[in-house]
Amino acid sequence: MSTTLKVPRPRGRRPAESREPDVERGILSLHDRRRRPVRAGQVASHVFLMVGLVVVGLGPLLWLGKAAISTTQDTIQQPFALWPSGIDWANLEQAWVEVEVGKYFFNTIALAAGQWVIGLIVATTGAYVLSILRPAYARVLEAAVLATLFVPSVVLLVPLFITVARPAFGPSLLNTFLGVWLPTAANAFNIIVVKRFFDSLPREVFEAARTDGAGPVRMFVSLVLPMSKPIVGVVSVFIIIASLKDYLWPKLVLPDPAVQPLGVRLPNIQSQTELDVTLAALAISTIIPVVLFLLFQRVFLRGAGLGGAVKG
Amino acid sequence: MTALDERRASPQRPRPRPAAVPAPRRRDRSLRGWVRRGGLVTLLFAAPMIFVFTVYSWWPILQSLWMSFQKTNLITYQFVGLDNFVNVLTDPVLGRAVVNTLYFALLALIFGFPLPIFMAVLMSEVKRLKGFYSALAYLPVVVPPVVAILLWQFFYKASPTGVFNTVLGWVGIPPQPWIQDAVQAMPSLVLEATWAGAGGSIIIYLAALLSVPPELYDAAEVDGASIWHKIWHVTLPQLRGVIFIMLILQVIATAQVFLEPFLFTGGGPNNSTVTVLLLIYRYAFENSLGGKYGEATALSVMLALFLAAASFLYFKATQKWSTD
Amino acid sequence: MKGKTMKSPTKVIAIAAAFATVASLAACSGGGASDGKIELRVATFPPGADQAAYDAFATQEAQFEKKYPNIDIIGVEYEWEGPTFTAQLAAGSLPDVFTVPFTDAKTLLENGQLADVTEEIEKLGYADKFNPIILDAVKDADGHLFGFPRQAYALGLQYNRDLFEQAGLDPNSPPTTWDEVREYAKQIAEKTGKAGYATMTQNNTGGWQLTAQAASRGGFLQSDDGTTSTIANDGVKATLQFFHDLRWEDHSMGDNFLLDWGSINQEFAAGNIGMYTSGSDLYTALVRDFSLDPAVYGLTTIPMEDGGKVLGGGDIAVLPPSLDDATKDAAVKWVDWYYMQKLLNEDAAAADAKALADSGQAVGTPVLPVLDQATYEESLTWIEPYVNVPREQMQGFIDHIFEQTPVGEPKSHTQEIYALLDPVVQAVLTDENADIDALLAQADTDAQALLG
Repeated sequence: MSTTLKVPRPRGRRPAESREPDVERGILSLHDRRRRPVRAGQVASHVFLMVGLVVVGLGPLLWLGKAAISTTQDTIQQPFALWPSGIDWANLEQAWVEVEVGKYFFNTIALAAGQWVIGLIVATTGAYVLSILRPAYARVLEAAVLATLFVPSVVLLVPLFITVARPAFGPSLLNTFLGVWLPTAANAFNIIVVKRFFDSLPREVFEAARTDGAGPVRMFVSLVLPMSKPIVGVVSVFIIIASLKDYLWPKLVLPDPAVQPLGVRLPNIQSQTELDVTLAALAISTIIPVVLFLLFQRVFLRGAGLGGAVKG
Repeated sequence: MTALDERRASPQRPRPRPAAVPAPRRRDRSLRGWVRRGGLVTLLFAAPMIFVFTVYSWWPILQSLWMSFQKTNLITYQFVGLDNFVNVLTDPVLGRAVVNTLYFALLALIFGFPLPIFMAVLMSEVKRLKGFYSALAYLPVVVPPVVAILLWQFFYKASPTGVFNTVLGWVGIPPQPWIQDAVQAMPSLVLEATWAGAGGSIIIYLAALLSVPPELYDAAEVDGASIWHKIWHVTLPQLRGVIFIMLILQVIATAQVFLEPFLFTGGGPNNSTVTVLLLIYRYAFENSLGGKYGEATALSVMLALFLAAASFLYFKATQKWSTD
Repeated sequence: MKGKTMKSPTKVIAIAAAFATVASLAACSGGGASDGKIELRVATFPPGADQAAYDAFATQEAQFEKKYPNIDIIGVEYEWEGPTFTAQLAAGSLPDVFTVPFTDAKTLLENGQLADVTEEIEKLGYADKFNPIILDAVKDADGHLFGFPRQAYALGLQYNRDLFEQAGLDPNSPPTTWDEVREYAKQIAEKTGKAGYATMTQNNTGGWQLTAQAASRGGFLQSDDGTTSTIANDGVKATLQFFHDLRWEDHSMGDNFLLDWGSINQEFAAGNIGMYTSGSDLYTALVRDFSLDPAVYGLTTIPMEDGGKVLGGGDIAVLPPSLDDATKDAAVKWVDWYYMQKLLNEDAAAADAKALADSGQAVGTPVLPVLDQATYEESLTWIEPYVNVPREQMQGFIDHIFEQTPVGEPKSHTQEIYALLDPVVQAVLTDENADIDALLAQADTDAQALLG
């Protein structure tokens, strides 16, 4: 759980000696660390990690950034040269204006925002019921929610598509954002993550609040929500990243290009646009998630680790 | 379709005895008593969850079981018995799809399973810059998959000036066809998928490594254990719960691989990258003139049953080792 | 500034409509009457078209609305999208007027997925003016009509004049036999390093182009009644052998063998392909959607051998079956005005050509007549002043197309058969030792299983 996860603490101002004991020990003991071969190994590991991760993790993105402002011919003929025929800023403008990346970008954000709001509402209220209010049917409900974790999403593809395209009541949700927002909110994983967090909150606080006559609504708004900021952050990251990464579902539900998000539109853009502009469009659509990641790195990494903890 | 929805819309038969809310006074079995004890408010809180799950999860799951026995153009439905299953099982492409999917899963295990464990152990031991390394490793994970694939599709260009072929040229290796070749296509797809996914696994292992009790290492050292000994006899056994889970999750995920073959190769060259999920997609959505929705669901149901059986057996088999 | 930043009113309306749809959840298909006007949602062109296309449409929309003040036209970006067509149709989210390819019309009308427009066509008085072969594509067994054939094309050989020149070939005398195509392709590949020849391989287009090139060699995929598969014939074999020789002996087909209609156009527009086969009306899309430099474009007929025929195709303006009478009436008016009159009537033809030309859209791209040939040739004189495509660069096609015998696409399970053939084409192009006979025997068996 999140509470057991240790986020690396900032170090630096402390004197050199007192740093060592502060480092939690791992496989290597203090003694190991002092041995020369181990030190050499440490240096080698650093070089390996630094070079390897920069080349593999950052390299393709830096290349994309470069290619986004290069001419097509440069990119094709000398993929690793730095702007032999100058920087082509016009790519970005062309991508934004002519290919209308701006419009699809807006759709992307609207989709993510809606999924975020609806997803959070469902996850927090649902977890609140399952963890704190615990009505008699909570166990059945929880089991039914948990069970969906074991059904591969592919099974849902066609029937869910039909449900959205021709609902039993109400208008079709094809080409509406709701067609993406609602089905993706039925996410058992997020509910379970929030529920586990709620489970770990001190029961006495709620008992005390009840004794003071607080109803379920008061308790939710003024007790549970304020206490659950960390988990809301993590789940927000889950939802937004999932939304930015989704492809097949929005592609099926939003056949009308005017409402498609950038991710869905990109393959079509790619097949109709000159390479340099396509690469500029790819770069633009990478920016939001990467910036979000850099801004909220800790929440991201905590969430990613938490993913494993919950799965485990 | 409507029956179930109405059942959801109407309030549940009141059940007096909310577990955690202590009834203030004598229990009142009437509807009013239920409402007064917060039953209605509770139900309202549960409503969003119940609604989205009923309409967009539970109901479609049931529907898929039913639909696999139907032939439909979405307007009319007709019961066709086991026809859909027969059609799927006699489809000449199914064999290719199953073999390809297993091949993808196998390659993904070889390329992508040990690597994150290794990286995580290394990163957790170098201590300094761990946060920085984690961020770098995780970066590919946040790139939208579509972007990653379109970018790699360009990297894989088969001409000598293709990005990867240029790199190969530096070390004297002749240009490779990558995704343009039936033999190399699948490994190329797996390579990209590993790049895109390894960071997530690394972070999970890093988190798991933190929970290995340091005393175990101390104890091992008392017994004079070497570094390798400690990794082999302390670290890995301590991680095995996570490793087992990650293994089955990876298998389940790779059994559903879709986006890579769909965008990279469309299943080509010569069906060498058609996967089960791509076949399901083709059944349902590729033919413009009325999808074979029945066949698509039949194959989905078979895949789901296979995965359920596989995970069950796996958990049975590993139960002994994964818990002490 | 490029002057492309301003959105046309249509576009703004389309976007606004899309958001309104989202906001109100009311995705009901057209037909809604607001302030007494009939709203008609009509398909325009695929998204990503340049501003000029929107401008031309806006002009035409205004002309139409002036003539029929009670109809409010709403242009909807539209692209024939196989995957979700059935669902969109079932959900009623298609435009009120849209177009489908010939190949799919028959199945759609047999499934009852298109509106019957027999009466309307008769009332308009041009039922007997259509080319009967083409009209056949929209007719059911009882002779009812389910759409307006609006445009037909024959497949032609597209070529890049610039690459021809770089390779020392005369762009004004394109190849006339398949042997010459091979020779030219080799020369282009050797001199320029680009693909001298290419062919589509993906998303059923591999099968489509194989069918076309085999037809030019006298090989057809099905018996005339569409009940027997004849895939393993000499024309198909010769075509695959041709691919094999160019790919593995001449190395003149480049290095990308995963191409579909869009990506091959893109590669061509980027100057990476010397020659390939595709529709004769491709120029419009190449310039509008793929930013091709018009000066490098060349078009000629596909070489014919051994009783070969030229594969044709086209599309049909259709209405969904669910429209109410008023909307259907408006839809027919639009189809007649927007698609048909310009084929029939001098004033309409001239007005249409003018609107397109004024906004820089292609006028005069070679097509096949959907009406009788006399009307077609007459119509060419009507639009002559507005023709802005380099017809002299298409001379090879224009001069010889009417000497060729057209043939339609295979009748039964067309798309499924094409899908079967994609891997065959890919196998030949990516595996030097692919066994053509064995591949075809297998494809033939699978195809026969489909035909039943």
